[in-house]
Amino acid sequence: MKKKIVIPGELVSEERKKVGQHVFVENGKIFSDSLGLTYADSDFASVVPLHGKYLPQREDLIVGIVAQETFGGYLVDINSFYFSFVSKEFIRERLQKGSIISAKILSVNEINEAELGNVRVFYGGEIVSISPVKVPRVIGKNASMMEALKKGTASNILVGRNGRIWAKGGDIPLLLKAIKKIEEESHLSNLTKKIEHFLEEQKKEN
Amino acid sequence: MEKEIQYVKNGKRLDGRGLEDLRKLKIEAGVISKADGSCYLEWGQNKVFASVYGPREALPKHIQNPYKALVDYQYRMATFSVPDRKNPKPGRREIEIGKVSGEALEKAIFLERFPNTTIDVYVEILDSNAGTRVAALTAASVALADAGIPMRDMVSAVGVGKAGGEIILDLNKDEEDAPDAVDIPIAILPRTEEVVLLQMDGLLTKEEWKKAFKLGVKGCKQVFEMQKEALRKKYLEAEKETAETENIEMMGD
Repeated sequence: MKKKIVIPGELVSEERKKVGQHVFVENGKIFSDSLGLTYADSDFASVVPLHGKYLPQREDLIVGIVAQETFGGYLVDINSFYFSFVSKEFIRERLQKGSIISAKILSVNEINEAELGNVRVFYGGEIVSISPVKVPRVIGKNASMMEALKKGTASNILVGRNGRIWAKGGDIPLLLKAIKKIEEESHLSNLTKKIEHFLEEQKKEN
Repeated sequence: MEKEIQYVKNGKRLDGRGLEDLRKLKIEAGVISKADGSCYLEWGQNKVFASVYGPREALPKHIQNPYKALVDYQYRMATFSVPDRKNPKPGRREIEIGKVSGEALEKAIFLERFPNTTIDVYVEILDSNAGTRVAALTAASVALADAGIPMRDMVSAVGVGKAGGEIILDLNKDEEDAPDAVDIPIAILPRTEEVVLLQMDGLLTKEEWKKAFKLGVKGCKQVFEMQKEALRKKYLEAEKETAETENIEMMGD
């Protein structure tokens, strides 16, 4: 596949194509709105950004941290512009400031506030923060990267779309190294193979 | 009486440049790790750091705009950036530059996608020699792209003007101090050539103005090419490296 690095305002396609993400149309031409990668031979005119913040989207699975307890529920930091509210009705255990939960985003309103559902509570484990635009690379095609990480480090991993990864058990230091490597090389191809190779080598060393 | 300085001699300026030459320009993106986006720029003697934080929730709440994001552009000159020590307190000049440059960037950013938020742009001038506002704006635009903030276009800026009776591009301090000096900072969106910042200090005839504006747009496009290169550089290098190592590995197999 032919990859191209585009900057904001650069032409992505002059043809009529399906309009994907991080592009905008002006006078029938499609332009990129951020610094990212585009694939010339794709049906979709879209750009995969290299940097950026998390904007909540419907159906996203996110990892949140409880920031504050209120009378009827909790305010959860989802790494977006605002805290989200989770009602105590849906949670059996009592949470504290700093508790980790995962949730699905049920809806997002016009000012990007997210409503959460399907809340699950996590005990223990660690949180790794990465850039939200790099989350797809940590998951991989058909979760291939996740499988490689799980196999290589024997950790339990949950990747939130908001750039937070929850991990527990197994070789956490190695996992951190691997995730850092993915983040640094996220714009390169054949990453899953490289990470598999990297994990094997690191295992041999230990 | 002082000896009169000749600003242009045989088509060469005081520092040896031609009439339509820029000073040496160096741009580097992503230099501050704690910032969401950043840029370091050297333009002749000018040295500028730009950093971008956000978008984040705008506080206090009463400054929020539910229809679009705010751009908070802070232009500051370091105390040691000018020959005499500068008072670090932001003065009339800095506040004005912050306002007009922030408005220039607003034209390029998709503000309506981030209601109730603010995008902070901090520009610090470490060393100055005329044309710092255009240097700052150029750096800020690269920092915004580095932060991944959606934009219609980059913002490229350059100074044009007149010294010694000639229309010249990218004035330095000596030329700016000429008795007949005119200084025009111009910023455009290079794709559409839309003007987003234009100020003028001095007097020009209609013909001179037309010539100066044309030259300014041309200069902005040159600056734009450098911005483009700076943003791509990091990734192109990495890509090349891996391509080479992959080749070696394949040969090894």
